[in-house]
Amino acid sequence: MARVRAQAVSVAGVLAPGTPGDAAARGAVERARDLAGRLPRIVLEARRVAASVAGVHGRRRAGVGENFWQFRPYVPGESAARIDWRRSGRDDRLHVRQREWEAAQTVWLWVNLSSSMGFRSSLAMDSKAGRALTLGLGLAGALAEAGERVGLLGAGQTSGGSTALERLAGACALQLRETGADQPDLPPEVSVARAAAVVLVSDFLNPPHMLAARIRALAHQGARGHLALIADPVEETFPFSGQIMLETTDGAARLRIGDASGWGEGYRAALARHRAELAEIAARWGWSLTLHRTDRPASEAALRLLSLMGAPVTSRADDSRARGSGA
Amino acid sequence: MIGWFASLSFAAPLTLLALAALPAIWLLLRVTPPAPRHLVFPPLKLFAHLQPRRETPARTPWWLTALRLLLAACVILAVAGPVWNPRAGDDAAGQASAPLALVIDSGAASAHDWARRIDLASRLAQAAGRAGAPIALFATAEAPAPQAPETAAAISRRLGALAPQAFAPDRLAWRDHIRAWLQAHPGARVVWISDGVELAGKPTSRQFASDLTDASGGRLIIYGDAPAAALALAGVVNGADGLEARIIRPAGAALGPAQGVARALDMRGLPLGEGAFSLASGEVETQARINLPIEMRNRAARIDIVGQQTAQAVTLLDRRNQRRRVGLVTGVTSDLAQPLLSPTWYVDRALAPTAEIREPRMGASAAIGALIDEQASVIILADVGGLEPAMRQRLEAWVRAGGVLVRFAGPRLAAAAGPDGGSAAGGAAHDPRDRLLPVRLRGDGRNLGGALSWETPKTLAPFNREGPFAGIDAPEEITVRRQLLAEPDGDLPGRTWASLADGTPVVTARRDGEGLLVLFHVTADPSWSSLPMSGAFVQMLQRIVAMAPDTTALERPAGEKAGQNAGQDAGQNTEEAGEDAPALARPAALPPRRILDGFGLWRDPPATARGVAADFAGRASLAHPAGFYGPVAAGRAVNVLETGDALAAIDFSGFEARSLSARTARELRDPLLLLALGLFLADCLATLLLGGGLWRRRLGKTAALTALALAAGLWTAASPGPARAQGMLNTPQYQLPDSWRPPGQAPAPTPRARPPAKPPSPPRTPVNGFTARDLDAAMETRLAYVITGDAQVDAVSRAGLIGLGEALAQRTSFEPAEPAGVNPSTDELAFYPVLYWPVVAGRPAPDAAALRKLDSYMKGGGLVIFDTRDAMTARPGVTTPEGAQLQRMLRTLDLPALEPAPQDHVLGKAFYLLDNFPGRYSRGQTWVEALPRRANGERVPARGGDGVTPVIITSNDWAAAWAVDASGLPMLPLTTDGHDSEERQRELALRVGVNVVIHALTGNYKADQVHLPALLRRLGQ
Repeated sequence: MARVRAQAVSVAGVLAPGTPGDAAARGAVERARDLAGRLPRIVLEARRVAASVAGVHGRRRAGVGENFWQFRPYVPGESAARIDWRRSGRDDRLHVRQREWEAAQTVWLWVNLSSSMGFRSSLAMDSKAGRALTLGLGLAGALAEAGERVGLLGAGQTSGGSTALERLAGACALQLRETGADQPDLPPEVSVARAAAVVLVSDFLNPPHMLAARIRALAHQGARGHLALIADPVEETFPFSGQIMLETTDGAARLRIGDASGWGEGYRAALARHRAELAEIAARWGWSLTLHRTDRPASEAALRLLSLMGAPVTSRADDSRARGSGA
Repeated sequence: MIGWFASLSFAAPLTLLALAALPAIWLLLRVTPPAPRHLVFPPLKLFAHLQPRRETPARTPWWLTALRLLLAACVILAVAGPVWNPRAGDDAAGQASAPLALVIDSGAASAHDWARRIDLASRLAQAAGRAGAPIALFATAEAPAPQAPETAAAISRRLGALAPQAFAPDRLAWRDHIRAWLQAHPGARVVWISDGVELAGKPTSRQFASDLTDASGGRLIIYGDAPAAALALAGVVNGADGLEARIIRPAGAALGPAQGVARALDMRGLPLGEGAFSLASGEVETQARINLPIEMRNRAARIDIVGQQTAQAVTLLDRRNQRRRVGLVTGVTSDLAQPLLSPTWYVDRALAPTAEIREPRMGASAAIGALIDEQASVIILADVGGLEPAMRQRLEAWVRAGGVLVRFAGPRLAAAAGPDGGSAAGGAAHDPRDRLLPVRLRGDGRNLGGALSWETPKTLAPFNREGPFAGIDAPEEITVRRQLLAEPDGDLPGRTWASLADGTPVVTARRDGEGLLVLFHVTADPSWSSLPMSGAFVQMLQRIVAMAPDTTALERPAGEKAGQNAGQDAGQNTEEAGEDAPALARPAALPPRRILDGFGLWRDPPATARGVAADFAGRASLAHPAGFYGPVAAGRAVNVLETGDALAAIDFSGFEARSLSARTARELRDPLLLLALGLFLADCLATLLLGGGLWRRRLGKTAALTALALAAGLWTAASPGPARAQGMLNTPQYQLPDSWRPPGQAPAPTPRARPPAKPPSPPRTPVNGFTARDLDAAMETRLAYVITGDAQVDAVSRAGLIGLGEALAQRTSFEPAEPAGVNPSTDELAFYPVLYWPVVAGRPAPDAAALRKLDSYMKGGGLVIFDTRDAMTARPGVTTPEGAQLQRMLRTLDLPALEPAPQDHVLGKAFYLLDNFPGRYSRGQTWVEALPRRANGERVPARGGDGVTPVIITSNDWAAAWAVDASGLPMLPLTTDGHDSEERQRELALRVGVNVVIHALTGNYKADQVHLPALLRRLGQ
């Protein structure tokens, strides 16, 4: 919980765009409240995203669950306890009530809300953190609608159903109210259940080896994962020239550049190398990497992530049904 | 360039050494780049190791460097205290504490650069005032008076009120006062701000200057140079084909080439014509000719030079410069009842446009005397035979002095010229060679083409090419039936101006002294010839009159010569007495009427202006400033310069004279500091822009917003547009039609809720002849009623048209605006399709203007409803008061034949099908324009004329039935005839109104509709 809280702090810093990093701590509480006030809007947007991508991720088949699915004729040899006598009383045959298969998958969501995520350029539609929340919550909402259980990575609890999105948002809001110090921008080292899915939404401005270590830890626990890389268009293109003074959002680093356009060439090359390393890390563990720019609509990335998550799930569901029928 | 620098001086010139530091500043500025833009860039934390490969040296843009250098230079220069034209300050610094006698020429010649003179005088006075010196102001064009020393503030006030006067100042008149003041203030210095001009040939200015020098002990400074650009008008001649204005410049000044335009204006200031002139370098005099016809020339009251704002450049013209005065005398007893038979009629008509005709109604001799007294320049004697000898002598003297005497033949002259006639005239010593005739006449004339003559009437020969009538067309149709014949002698051909085709002279003339004798051998009326009825006659007379001298030329010499002549003649006691007592004959002094100020503008006569004598001649002076004196008809014009005057620049050699032109010292420190401040602001803005901080910081945003708001505010303040627009928005008050309102609800506009004074709103300022009310009326179609003046009737009319308008808006596509009350005699009616006119007994009948308007309204397609509202009181055979009133009103109107509206009239079919036309009453008859008779056997359901019936006369009081009150309910009860309920009748009345309006708007459209089936059938084939 403490970690979550720590993330909230970074979100607070993040969601006040353009705030110099050294001033982040000063107005943290105020800005946290500001974000808490913005959350309902983000939730609404996430709902919209979830609704726009719903239907892709469905699992309507008979299986182990609580809800009625269908009646089927009784097969001799089956346990008599399975017979639904009320239905069977209406005609001469015996019927067995089948329940819907509910093999809820656990999806752990992690959204990077560190200070660097607070950046928003004039070209972007939203700050990176805002977009990351929208995307993450929207994805969670869509998954929860489809019956999965979702939770914040590191928060320990999962929830499902139509209220999952609000619960996640509530958790975020709670974190944002209890602000603290700035947080590392890497996913927490926690244990996840086997076969769980992990969605990491971040700008991944980390040294690749550190990120690779965290991903390896998660992957070793059997989790499959998806990386959503949120980037501001300015970060992609670096459209500056002349004399500029660059600084990070937390003010930790400064760089004075006499000729920005010249520096930009080197930057773009380095960025491309960084992206290549990220892709290599993801591919190493079979994870996906989705690049999302904040000047594009969030539903694009959500759709791609959902379709990436849907394909393996479907195949495993078939397996489980086969197992179920075999049982 | 050197001269440019010479006029610049510095209070602290050593400070200028700091300018040497500018290169150092330049270096500093060059190496200090502007602050870089600050950018937040999250990926930096990952890529901070990417060091810039190529660090281009940051450089201040060159223009920013230049801006800052200029800023520094401005500050240095401002600190050095630059003064432009510093010499004006020297006087003040040098001897400021000495008492100052400020002599300023305030005559007409000072006007063209008056502001500079006053400015110089004020600065001198202020400088002296700062030093505490007493100052006295002597304005030479004011009335000379002793001056007391005053403070600088008082002098400044007086200078502000001082204005140049329209005359040349008499400086010598001030000499004693100045001298007295200088004696009272020993050590005083004198500054004379001179206009630098004096009349050529009257060099008093040097005397004045040397007097001042003596009186002040040599402490005289003269400011003044002959104004080279100032032109003056000295004399305007009303020449043969134009006004010739003489334009002069002061001789002795440095004169460059000049050109300009002289302009003639009439008494009201309207320009009549212009003439250009140009002066070569050094030339002091030229002529500008303003070509104008004589009529326009005579109207000219003022000639001025365009662009010269001085009274010197204005010449006022009075009657001396204007039309000739022509006296008419006839020997025939004039019969006023038959003017065409008067012998002077044709002469009068011929000359009236170009000359002033005087025709004294008295005996011939007395009339001639009166005309000579009136200084007529031409006297025309139409068939005057004998004259009193005294008058004859006086007339001869007048002619010799320059008068033009034109005589016309006639029975009396024929009788007087003959040998018998001479004795009959009673002249004891009558010379058969009448000295008032150009030629000797034979006693009897000849008749041509008469009953007893074989000869046909003669025509005029073409006019002699060398004669005064050259160029005038001699029409063929001029015939001469009778004429007086001249005795043929040697000089007859030389005296013949016009002759008949057979060579007989018909107009002869002779010079006599300065004057001229002209004889027409025919009468002035058409009894002897048709000449007086021709256009040639007019031209001939005008030529003759144009040869006459100015009236002024005749005044004195004529009198003198007449006096001499009278002296020679022993019998002329009365005449002598008259000449010996000129004071009795002279009219009273002419009071000043309109006076020029020094700038040549009209002003009221000042208190110092006194009247001039009627024969005043001379230049304007303090007592008689330039202007018009006396009545308009017989006034005098007094000008600054007389005809023939020349100007000369005052020779100031030997005195300490300074030029006026370079006297404006100007401190340049404040403008420089202001410029530096502006540059500093520009620099700040540029720095912010370059640093990229302007748009990202909130402070920058605020500043930008402030600047925007400031600019917007300035723009708003500078342009009065919005305020005016708002005013315009408020003026038209449109009323939305109530068509949207569901029936049954109360109408929003009510007649009682509105102020009753609104409908007859007084017409506002007319624009192009249309009032704002007309514009309102033209914007929307509306019904109109005539304001009768009876408040009750008018309120019902208005309420009725409102009710009808609502019905129309609900039922038809016509949504009339608020009805208008009109006054047919003043308001334009063309905007209203229907005019409802309730007839009120006892009101005055509409005036002629109203009837004319009404007539054109009806002819133009308008529909007038006359409602006598008397159906209840009308009885067969009895005319109600309203009916009588209507008859009185319509008596003068050109109305078509009327008939009771027939059953098939289109009025009953226009919208609703109606059998009768009820209103508040249902019994009354409704009359419309009689329709053409129905074609034989034609059966059509509706008939209409060729348009809208121009008039409907009803007695059913329609408006009362239509009228609704504030809540939309009927205003007045109806009188039913028992067939219909009240509601039914009101509905029918509304339908009548709808039909009337639709009929007015659509004409006979409905009547044409009946042919539609036939048309469709034809189209089908």
